[in-house]
Amino acid sequence: MCLGIPGRIVEIHHDEGLAMGLVDFGGVRREVCLAYVEDQVEPGDYALVHVGFAITKVDEDEARRTFEALRQMSQLEELDWMREVADRSLDAMSGGQT
Amino acid sequence: MATTSLIDGLTCPVPFASTDRIQLGHGSGGKMSATLFRERILPHFDNPALAVLGDAAVFRVPATELAISTDSFVVSPLEFPGGNIGSLAVHGTLNDLAMMGARPFCLTAGFVLEEGLPFDQLDRIVAAMAAAARRADVPIVAGDTKVVERGKADGLYINTTGVGVLHVGARPGPRGARVGDAILVSGPIGRHGMAIMATRESTGFETGIESDSASLWPVVAPLLNQLGPAIHVLRDPTRGGVASALNEIAQAAGVGIELEESSLPIPAAVQAGCEMLGLDPLYVANEGILVAMVPETCATAALKCLRADPLGAEAAVIGRVVDDHRGFVVLHTSMGGTRIVDMLPGDQLPRIC
Amino acid sequence: MKYLSEYRDPTLARALIGRIRQTASRRWTLMEVCGGQTHTIVKQGLDELLGEAIEMIHGPGCPVCVTPLEQIDRALALAAKPEVIFTSFGDMLRVPGSACDLLQVRARGGQVRVVYSPLDAVALARKNPDREVVFFAVGFETTAPANAMAVWRAAQLGLRNFSMLVSHVTVPPAMTAILDAPDNRVQGFLAAGHVCTVMGWTEYEPIAARYRVPIIVTGFEPLDILEGIYLAVRQLEAGRYEVENQYVRSVRREGTVPARSLVERVFHLVDRQWRGIGTIPMSGLALREEFVAFDAERRFGLSGIRASEPTECRAGEVLRGLLKPLECPMFGNRCTPEHPLGAPMVSSEGACAAYFNYGRMRQRQHAEV
Repeated sequence: MCLGIPGRIVEIHHDEGLAMGLVDFGGVRREVCLAYVEDQVEPGDYALVHVGFAITKVDEDEARRTFEALRQMSQLEELDWMREVADRSLDAMSGGQT
Repeated sequence: MATTSLIDGLTCPVPFASTDRIQLGHGSGGKMSATLFRERILPHFDNPALAVLGDAAVFRVPATELAISTDSFVVSPLEFPGGNIGSLAVHGTLNDLAMMGARPFCLTAGFVLEEGLPFDQLDRIVAAMAAAARRADVPIVAGDTKVVERGKADGLYINTTGVGVLHVGARPGPRGARVGDAILVSGPIGRHGMAIMATRESTGFETGIESDSASLWPVVAPLLNQLGPAIHVLRDPTRGGVASALNEIAQAAGVGIELEESSLPIPAAVQAGCEMLGLDPLYVANEGILVAMVPETCATAALKCLRADPLGAEAAVIGRVVDDHRGFVVLHTSMGGTRIVDMLPGDQLPRIC
Repeated sequence: MKYLSEYRDPTLARALIGRIRQTASRRWTLMEVCGGQTHTIVKQGLDELLGEAIEMIHGPGCPVCVTPLEQIDRALALAAKPEVIFTSFGDMLRVPGSACDLLQVRARGGQVRVVYSPLDAVALARKNPDREVVFFAVGFETTAPANAMAVWRAAQLGLRNFSMLVSHVTVPPAMTAILDAPDNRVQGFLAAGHVCTVMGWTEYEPIAARYRVPIIVTGFEPLDILEGIYLAVRQLEAGRYEVENQYVRSVRREGTVPARSLVERVFHLVDRQWRGIGTIPMSGLALREEFVAFDAERRFGLSGIRASEPTECRAGEVLRGLLKPLECPMFGNRCTPEHPLGAPMVSSEGACAAYFNYGRMRQRQHAEV
């Protein structure tokens, strides 16, 4: 239902009292309403934008942490897989000998 | 619904996609366009040259073969980063000829002008048109202008017709695709459509993207000279984008098409704009790239040939023609999954969902 | 793009899929609530990669799918008025009403414009003081803060020519309705990450406890969805049923408080009809009395427009995972993507449209054999 895209806040200004900002989405820039995240963000921060509104600040530390966890899991996964292959070939080898 | 006015006359029952008048979807390059053409235009104009449904009609004249193609341009806004309706009208028709393997040699131009169009804007557009034609070394040999009442047109519309001389020994066409062919694109995907969308007031985007509008003959000529009949298909993926062009080819040639998502050359800003509007770059219009199909064994040569010209510097192999799922285009996603890349029923609309 | 592309890493995706398959001792049925998640699943072919381990039911989280016929008909009536500029997100333009869709109204001369943001509609109203600008306010909790701000802003600017046709819905009552159905098959949910970005997840805690279903707050990129599925499967296998947050980079427990506050200021909860599902109590948002001047239904007296859902379209059963599109008698003959009877045939991610395309391809292949 809800397309939300993270973008980097380039600058913040007020338009007749409403907090607005220019946000860069990988090379495309657009005016975005920052009223809901005004107290938390400054230029350089990433915000999640839906229909022209920032609805939260992206938590960069959390993002890094979870991504690291995923990467570790993937490495474990590879180890598991290698162990499985090794077990199987060992089985095959011992099967061949008897 | 006593208060309504415009839909009172609507009595169409479900299914109601076919109404009694033209809708925007009829110009989208998708299924509605195809139906409109097949049902309302082709029967009237039907002749062997048109029925081939290529990018240009081909007919025989004594001593040589000519190609002729016509196209009308109604783009809004009239001027956009990377070009305007005038340069687009020249490149568009030249490219239709080039896709048939025809060296363009003359053009005609017809204008429908809206009352009130500023002279300076008209001057800019006509100048861009002339410059594009001069660069391609193709004269505009005939033309026509009409003016309609203010409000009856959107500034101006241009029709161009081009005549070209067919290359000897090569007959690229949508039906030429063969199982085992490699599929190439000559450059990055989606720039024209995204440049236009960004310019429209409703998106409020600032992008550095320029339209790719360009004459493709400079990359087509070396391809034809070097690979000749090995060039099975050439197509410029304009309205409806790469996805629609490939669907048309898959259906015309009765072959299956496989694409590799990770090989698609999509500029970062096009990707970003598409993410924001919920669009798929494969359906975004291009005006300066071509899709080519050549036997697998010629793929490297074709790629090298394309990359030799700045216009084709970012050329890439994006897929292959297969014996499976005939008539369909299937994409191998970078995740390792697959999905059908279907023809859209109408225009691709921005979405929030 | 930062925070998007890294969540599309195929190697990590393969690792997660391996993990899911390893963990699942049986086939589990999960529902992704949000249409955006469905979009990722279909576009990336994730369901195919998951194979037999997981059945994904595509949930009702898409305004195209759930906006009731009656509201579409009201939108069509408004868009056809000569004094009205009707503004909408692109999503709604092709949704079939009783007689036609917004694109056809536009072809007949109605002023229908696609906007990116509801604030663009407010700007349009300021620029066109002699026209009535109406915005079609559809969506879920994610979109509600934007629409609330548009009304708030219009009030602040003293605009008299701006109004909204409100058809807002909220997610938790729909999840409860699905779980309450006697024939429910859903064993776990991927909750909509962007809805929870605004609302937080406290309202899901009682649902998880009462119905004993894991609810995983999940993002929208392939790795988010696969991790969400993995967390759900892990809970199911362990016999746990909790709310767990996969989408930590965006979602906090309490949501985005200023956004929630303005939504509460401007809207209040009402019963709302969902297309194909029926009326769900307290599942919709309507403008509060204080903002009634901006309510297009009242301003244009639209309450007389009534419509009943075509009985032949069984979208409701499809949306709840009870009927496969192929089993519907209308499928592929009376109902096709060019002539949709119901919303799931409209967008290419709609369950029916997806089946239609795959079905056609398979038929073709069989015919060739």
